[in-house]
Amino acid sequence: MSRTVKAMLVGLILFPFAFLLMLSVGRQWPYPALFPQQWSLANWAMVWGGSEGLSNSVAISVLLSTSVAALSTGTSFWVSRHIAYHPKREAWLSMAYLPYVFAPVILAACLQFFFILAGLYGTFGGVLVAQLFITFPYGVIFFSSFWNERLRNMEQLVKTLGGNSRQAYAKVLIPVARGALATCFFQLFLISWFEYGLTNLIGVGKVPTLTIRVFQYVNEANLFLAALASCLLVFPPLLLLWVNRRVVFKG
Amino acid sequence: MSKSIIYSLIGAVISIALAACGSEADDATSQPDLKDLSWEEIEAQAQGTTLTHMMWTGDPLINDYMNNYVKPAVQKRYGIDLNIVSGQGATIVQSMMAELQAGKQESEVDMMWINGETFYQLRQIEALHGPWTDRLPNAQYIDFDNPFIGVDFQQPVDGYECPWGNVQMAIIYDTLRTPNPPQNRSELLAYAKANPGTFTIDTRFTGLTFLKALLIDIAGGQEVLAGDFDEAKYKRYAPQLWDYLRKLKPYLWKEGQSFPEGVAPMHQMFANGELHFSMSNNDCEVDNKVMQGLFPESTRAYVWELGTIQNSHYLGIAKHSANKAAAMVVANFMISPEAQYRKMDPAVWGDGTVLDLDQLPAEWAEKFRNLPNRKYAPDRQAIQNRALMELAPEYMIRLAEDFRKEIIEG
Amino acid sequence: MQANGAAQFGRFLFVLLSAVPIVAGVGYALLYSLGLTGVMAEGMTGAHWREVLRDAAFWRTIGFSLYVALVSILIALAIALALVLRSPRTFTKGSLSYMIYLPLSIPAIVMAFFIFQLLGKGGWLSRLAHQLGMISALGQFPDWVNDNYGIGIIVAHVVMAAPFFTIFFANLYENERLGDYLHLATTLGAGRRQRIFRVGVPILLRRGLATVFLYFMFVMGSYEIPLLLGSQSVQMVSIRTIQRLQRYNLGDIPEAYAISVAYTVLVVVLLSALLWFNRRQMRPS
Repeated sequence: MSRTVKAMLVGLILFPFAFLLMLSVGRQWPYPALFPQQWSLANWAMVWGGSEGLSNSVAISVLLSTSVAALSTGTSFWVSRHIAYHPKREAWLSMAYLPYVFAPVILAACLQFFFILAGLYGTFGGVLVAQLFITFPYGVIFFSSFWNERLRNMEQLVKTLGGNSRQAYAKVLIPVARGALATCFFQLFLISWFEYGLTNLIGVGKVPTLTIRVFQYVNEANLFLAALASCLLVFPPLLLLWVNRRVVFKG
Repeated sequence: MSKSIIYSLIGAVISIALAACGSEADDATSQPDLKDLSWEEIEAQAQGTTLTHMMWTGDPLINDYMNNYVKPAVQKRYGIDLNIVSGQGATIVQSMMAELQAGKQESEVDMMWINGETFYQLRQIEALHGPWTDRLPNAQYIDFDNPFIGVDFQQPVDGYECPWGNVQMAIIYDTLRTPNPPQNRSELLAYAKANPGTFTIDTRFTGLTFLKALLIDIAGGQEVLAGDFDEAKYKRYAPQLWDYLRKLKPYLWKEGQSFPEGVAPMHQMFANGELHFSMSNNDCEVDNKVMQGLFPESTRAYVWELGTIQNSHYLGIAKHSANKAAAMVVANFMISPEAQYRKMDPAVWGDGTVLDLDQLPAEWAEKFRNLPNRKYAPDRQAIQNRALMELAPEYMIRLAEDFRKEIIEG
Repeated sequence: MQANGAAQFGRFLFVLLSAVPIVAGVGYALLYSLGLTGVMAEGMTGAHWREVLRDAAFWRTIGFSLYVALVSILIALAIALALVLRSPRTFTKGSLSYMIYLPLSIPAIVMAFFIFQLLGKGGWLSRLAHQLGMISALGQFPDWVNDNYGIGIIVAHVVMAAPFFTIFFANLYENERLGDYLHLATTLGAGRRQRIFRVGVPILLRRGLATVFLYFMFVMGSYEIPLLLGSQSVQMVSIRTIQRLQRYNLGDIPEAYAISVAYTVLVVVLLSALLWFNRRQMRPS
C-alpha cells in the first residue's frame, strides 16, 4: 500500500477522535465557523465534579468488562471447538445468532422479569450474567471460523504422540489461537464496556458502570458536553488498547 | 437437530410458561406502619439506612446539585446514604410493572422523580405508596391549593407524590435573528412561510406540551378542556389542530417528514442556526445554556400570547419500598426552604420552587425574593398570567398517537 | 469417553447461555402479546397481533430495516475486501495493524452523535463547504441526516463496520493461508481480476459468512444510530418497538411485544434460508 493511501487511512481513523476532543473543550460554535470560537476546560471540570465517584465507576467497569470478556472468551473458545467439530455444526451454530435478534434494550425488557424471579435483579452478578448472554454467543461465532482441518490434524498429532487434551490446548491450540483470543477478548471487552440497555435495566442503576454514568450526557443538548461524554466513553478502551499493544500485536 | 437441543428448548419453554403465569403479585407488605410513628421516630428509623432514588441524570447541573449538595447533606444530618440511580418515566414504569408481576416483595427503587403521565401510569398499576406527604413537616410551606402544584395533569396528587419543582414551558429564540417572535398561531404560520425549515417540535414531552397549548388555544381557553378526558371534546378540537399543522407542515424543518427526537438535537440545531426556535419545559434553562456557551448571548426565552403549559415535578415512593421512612426524610429535606432556595438559583439549576412565599418565615421569603435574577429567561411573575394548566394524561396519549398518524405518517 | 462427556457439557453450556435466554425472552414476549401475562393483562386476545400485522407502517419498518442492513453491509464489505485483498499484510503487521483497531472503540451512540455533527445541515462538512464557497447558506447543504433514505444511518453503520470487517478478513486471510492459494492461482495463470473475484473474495466470504450475517443482524436491530439519525417517517424496527413499549400508552405494550416476536420469526426464517443456502454451497467441497 502506498504511503499516501496509508497516511489517508490513518487520518480518517484519527479524525473522529480529534473532532470529539476539539468539541469537548469548545464553547460558542456559530455557523459557519470550522472551529469553536472559545476554548475552555470548564465542561471537563463540571462533569468530573458533578458526577462524584466517576473513578469508582471506572473501577466497576474495568472489573465487570474484564470478567465478562475473560469468562466469555475462555468458555466460548472451548465450547466453539465442540460445536465446530460436531457433524451438525451449522444447526448448532445457528442458535448462537438468536440473542442478536433483539436490540439489547428489547432483550432486557423481555428478560427483566426472569432476573427478578432469579433474585439477580439489581446485582453485579445479574449484570454479569446478562452480559454473558450477549458476549458468549458472539465468541462462539467468532471462533467458529477459527477451527479447521489443519488444527484438527495438529491436535491429532499431539494425541498420537501420547499427549492428552490439556496438553493439546496448552502446547498447540492456545499458542496458535493467541491472536484470535486477544482479538476476541478485546471485542467482548468493548461490547461489555459499552453495554447500556441490559446493564441499566437489569442492574436498576445499582451497577453504575462508567457507561451508565456518562451515557445520558451523550444525549445532552449541550453538544460540547455530549462530545466530552463521548471522549470519556472512548478513551479508556483506547488506553487499554495502547497498554496491550505489545501483547496483542506482534509489532 | 440433535435431541438434546430440542429437550432443553422444551424445558425452557415450560419453565417460562410456569413462571410467567404462576406468579401473582400479592400484597403482603410487612412494614411497620409509619402512620403510628411520630416524625422523630421516622427520622430515627431512617438513620443509617440506604435510600435508592431513581431519577433522570442527563443534566450535569442537576447531578451536581444532587450529588454534591443533597447527598452529603442527608448523610450528615440524617445518616442516610442516598444512592442515585439513573432512569426516568418509562423505565420507572417498566421496572415497577416487572417487579409487581414477579411478585417482588421489596422494590429495588425506593424513591423516584416523576410527574404527569408517569404518575398517572404508576397509579394505574398501583405501584405508588401513599398518601404520605402530609406527614412531612416542610409540607406546610407547599402551596397545595395552587392548581399548578397540587394537581398533576388534572389529577389531584392526593398525597401520593410530593411536589419538588415547578416550571413553565418557554420558546427559545435569537433576538438578532428574530426580533419579533410569533405571538400566536397565525403569526407562527406566517413566520414559517417566510423562513421555511426553521421551525419544528420534538416528538417527545416538550413537543407534546407545545401541542397541548395549541389545542387549548383552539378549544378557546383552558376551562373548556379542564377536568377528565372528554372524548367528544377531543374529537371536536383535535381535527382543527391537525388542519392547522397540515398547513404548517410544508414549511417545517425537513418539510415535516421528520421531527427531532427530544430537545437535545433541537437545541444543537438552534445553536448552529439550522433552526430559529428551540423549546424548553423549564423557562429558566436558557440561562444555563447561554452560560455554558452553547447559545449565543442574544438568545432569549419567551411565552407567547396564547400561553404555555406550566407544571410541577414530584417525588414518589414505591409501594414496596423497604425504606419508606428514609424516603420521607429525604423528601422533606428536598422541599426545605434551604434546598429549594439553592435549587432555584439559575447558576445552580434554575428550577422554580413549590413553596408558597407567603407562608414561609419572613427571612426565607425575603431571600427567595432577592434571588439573583435570570438574565435571559422571562420573569417568573410576568409569565404567570400566560400559564396554562396541564390537561388530563389521556389527551397527551391521544395527541402522541394521532400526531404520528395524522402528521408524520399522513 | 471422557472427551465425549466434555463435548456434551460444552454443548449444554452453549444451549444454556445462548438459546435458553432468548427462548425465555421470546416466550415471555409471546405470552405478553397474547394478553396472557403482564400487570394489565386481560386474558387471551389476538387483537394486538391483528393490529400489528394489519398496520402498513409495520411492514414498511421491516422493509426499511432490511434495506439499511443490506446496503450498509454491502458497502462495508466492499471497502474491507478491497483493502485486505489489495494489501493484506498492512493490517496484520506494522502501525496500521494497531490503528485499525481504534475505530472499534467508538460505540454506536457516540458514532451517531459524531455523524450528526459531521453530516447535518449545520455540521462540519456543511461548514467546510461554506468556507470553500460551495454553498452560501446552510439550507443548501443536502439532507444527509434524518432523511427518508437513511443516508445518515447507513454512513454511520459503514464507518463502524468497515474497520471491523477489515480486521476480520485480514486475520482470516492469514489464518486460511489465502496468500498461498492466490500464489497458486497465479502460477496456474490466473490474472489479477480472476485472483480477486474467483479466489480471494469467495474464500473470504464463505469462511466469514457467519460473522457477516451476525453483523447484518446487528445493523437490522440497531437502536441508537437510527434514533438520532433516522427519519420519523420511515423507522427501523427497534425504534418502533421501543416507541410502543415506552411511549405514553401502557395499552400499547403488548403490541411492542408482538412486533418483537414477529421480527424474531422473520430473522429466524432469514437465518434458516441462509443456512440452507450455505449448506448447498458447501456440498460440492
